[in-house]
Amino acid sequence: MNLKDPETMNEVVGNVLRFGVLTSAAVILIGTVLLVAASGSSGISSSLTYNPNQIPHGTFDVSLSGLANGLVGFQPYSLIELGVIILLATPVSRVLISVFLFAAEGDRLYVYITAVVLALLLFSILATPFISVFNA
Amino acid sequence: MIVIEFLIILLLISIFAGVFGSIVGLGGGVVIIPALTLLLGVNVHFAIGASIVSIIGTSSGAASVYVKDKMTNLRVGMFLELATTSGAIAGAAFAAYVNSSALELIFGSILLVTLIPTVMKIGEDIPKNPELKGLSKRLALTGSYPEPDGSVVSYNATRPKTGLFGMVIAGMLSGLLGIGSGAFKVVSMDVAMKLPMKVSTTTSNFMIGVTAAASAGIYFARGDVNPLIVAPVALGILIGAALGARVLKRSRNPTIRKIFIVVLAVAAIEMILSAEGIAV
Repeated sequence: MNLKDPETMNEVVGNVLRFGVLTSAAVILIGTVLLVAASGSSGISSSLTYNPNQIPHGTFDVSLSGLANGLVGFQPYSLIELGVIILLATPVSRVLISVFLFAAEGDRLYVYITAVVLALLLFSILATPFISVFNA
Repeated sequence: MIVIEFLIILLLISIFAGVFGSIVGLGGGVVIIPALTLLLGVNVHFAIGASIVSIIGTSSGAASVYVKDKMTNLRVGMFLELATTSGAIAGAAFAAYVNSSALELIFGSILLVTLIPTVMKIGEDIPKNPELKGLSKRLALTGSYPEPDGSVVSYNATRPKTGLFGMVIAGMLSGLLGIGSGAFKVVSMDVAMKLPMKVSTTTSNFMIGVTAAASAGIYFARGDVNPLIVAPVALGILIGAALGARVLKRSRNPTIRKIFIVVLAVAAIEMILSAEGIAV
């Protein structure tokens, strides 16, 4: 793989996206299959009958510790959440890797541009949920 | 309705959304939000959460194909993402202080107006190739892509500042309303920067994932990303995007433009209806 060759960038970025998408789809699929399988047992079947009014806004656990506990217990909802997080991380990884690929190509201007985009993106994803202006 | 029916209906709708979203560069929100709210009666917050996931899914799923096939212009995308991400953050900061109905009415009307230059170019296959000069040259906003008949089309971008301005607006709209705003992105590249239609839609498709990811943190933290709803949406969208990417590769620019015009009109009408209180 020649990192100076501009075509390398298309290959690597394409592969990063494909890997993220396939991993995410696999994890979400496992979670969904477990969810449907669980709906067969009578204990939870009523809660799995779909009724828009029975899914109140924001009643499921969105905390990282809740997610970690759910994953340890192989909980369907937690697996689906993990899959969605992988999906969300895919475009971010694409930007991150592009910084290095532009650097390898020797294109300094685009290293700066991509690094600024990455910084804005990380700020937006990780910091804005904790800043009150963004949650008013 | 039992869960399995809900999952299958949503999966099928999402495949459909993924096919069209990946071809026109708008993501799946145009289809997903009204399907969830009007057809399935889902709370609008969950619908927007699912829409964000659908946009990231369409973007990454289709881009994995488009980037390898060199349809997407990576430099045009990265350069314009400067504007969309900063616009999105600014928009999110002001979201609480603006009347979203008024915004939707304004932007829905702007979208309807942007139909005019887009329709005027109907039938255009490959735009006249402007000379690469000024900022476009410094930023290397140029490229080439393969057509289905095996020929390779070279193109140069023009008016990068106008394109950048359009992207600030697109980004702000994303932050304010929680949408991918792919329509503004495609129109900016098509009308202002004079890129070939396929390059515009695939580069928009490439960018909307980053725009949507930028606002996903807030929706995730609020609990708007409901696993039961987003699971079939994500799976369906990824299947649809893979199919749509194959359709785009085999189509020519005028066909893509016609599909885009229809989806743009639907998106504009949806936004205006939403301003009038109809949850789409």
